[in-house]
Amino acid sequence: MKRQLAYFLVIFIGFLTLLGHFINYSPLNNFIDNDATQWFDIISGFAAFLGVINLLQLHLNKIANKRDNWRYSIITLAGFTIMIIFGFIYNGSSVAMGPHLKEDGSAFYWMFQNIYLPLGATMFALLAFFVASASYRAFKIRNFEATLLLISGVFLMIGRVPIGQLIPWWMALEIYICLFFALIANRFEEKKKMLFSLVICIIVLPLITYFLNLHNLSIFKIPELQEWIMDVPATAGSRAIMIGIALGTIAQSYRIITGRERSILGD
Amino acid sequence: MNQYVKYIFFPTVILLVYFFFPFSIFLSGNETTFICVVLLCFVVEYFIEKAKNGEEIYMRPIAAIKAMEEAVGRATEMGKPVLYVPGISSLDQIDTISGLTILGHVAGMTAEYDASLHVPVCVPIVMETAKETCKESYLKKGRPDLYRDDMVHYVTDDQFAYAAGVNGIMLREKPAAVFFQGKFYAESLILAETGNSIGAIQIAGTGSSSQIPFFVTACDYTLIGEEFYAASAYLSGSPEMLGSIKGQDYVKVGCMMLILIVFISSILNGYGIIDFDIVSLFRTNIIK
Repeated sequence: MKRQLAYFLVIFIGFLTLLGHFINYSPLNNFIDNDATQWFDIISGFAAFLGVINLLQLHLNKIANKRDNWRYSIITLAGFTIMIIFGFIYNGSSVAMGPHLKEDGSAFYWMFQNIYLPLGATMFALLAFFVASASYRAFKIRNFEATLLLISGVFLMIGRVPIGQLIPWWMALEIYICLFFALIANRFEEKKKMLFSLVICIIVLPLITYFLNLHNLSIFKIPELQEWIMDVPATAGSRAIMIGIALGTIAQSYRIITGRERSILGD
Repeated sequence: MNQYVKYIFFPTVILLVYFFFPFSIFLSGNETTFICVVLLCFVVEYFIEKAKNGEEIYMRPIAAIKAMEEAVGRATEMGKPVLYVPGISSLDQIDTISGLTILGHVAGMTAEYDASLHVPVCVPIVMETAKETCKESYLKKGRPDLYRDDMVHYVTDDQFAYAAGVNGIMLREKPAAVFFQGKFYAESLILAETGNSIGAIQIAGTGSSSQIPFFVTACDYTLIGEEFYAASAYLSGSPEMLGSIKGQDYVKVGCMMLILIVFISSILNGYGIIDFDIVSLFRTNIIK
């Protein structure tokens, strides 16, 4: 019976919320936009206590039973207790309790500014190094797709820095010729032939481009090329994923509000 | 006959009522969304009905879903835990709900294989739901004795503090399998790279399109886009759930055809061969 009630509530509120987006009835719209979200906030607020209790239970148990790495739990609990004291008991500034949380000079604010924020910023800064290591792995030439990724990645990087604007058209053309030969290198049986063709192309193609007055084309300006990569292939790919996500979201929501998807309720 | 009434007559009537009802009971500006939602729901329902009637449904194998059981099996063999990260958002995000439905299946696998499961959570309300999901899964597999209350636990609400906490768990416990299933933001790469550094099998899934490239780079398998939402249905194996995915695929085919029509029509309109600008039909919401 308890479970049936839960299903009923999910289905009823699900359909009600869906209707609220299309029906022009102010009590329903008000319920969807304000009341329902407030209910959610209230329930979440109560759940915060459960989170705190869970945190305390877990770490106290760890310390009591001296489980692996129990010393870290002491630091967690110490941090928790200190912030509780500075938030609820000790003020340290002239303003009243409550507003002191945002008052420069209160103990809580000092801890927030000098410990919490720098630690958060440190974690965020780690991202730069992780991006570098992830890019290194992604850009390794393993197959055709990875090579394309590497090439477009290099153009994006060059195109977005000031030096990219200083690269002349002929150098861009030479880069394209070298990349083209790198892609077709394994088709040549004799390395000498490949080298000869490469040298000929490097000398002749810029001359042809110049005399045909093609050197003003956007393709020879790397900043414009990177813009094109971002605007056309990258946007097309991300939109395809977005359409898939939208369809998946509707289908998943439909399965939930019609009571077919019950895994979340433990079925 | 019944089928025609249900899947052609009903949606047609709903759309006619929506567009031609004399009183203003419908909100204006949501017409395109309404058409899409009605059509998608009826197509999905049609294929669910077909699947329930016993029609065989072919599902394209998805490597990431197939690898889930292998990852849990590997963790069992190595005697190491399975780490499941359900993202950093609350239950108002469909990604979190999808992550929790997948958690139900993963918990079922860990119960079956007798592997240790560890679920650090960022939002308390998600923690309570995840606990219930795991408990039910262990019960359903007949192994309630293996369920521990502390296998799902709260870490913190803060994004980077949570990332630091989960990274710490990964580095100390060295799980053999790591699942990232839910809504992720900037912490996705920090978590995935740490998982990669400890040599764990990593299976990610998210609806955050901006985080997908990071997961693709750092994880062994990634559920991209709608695959993530279909994973739970796929894992359940029930015909009606699989039918819904089939329906979703047909809608995708419809979208592709629509894109092609819009593309050709726009070219013809651009060269002045036809006067009608088809794109104007889809601009309703943007103008409002």
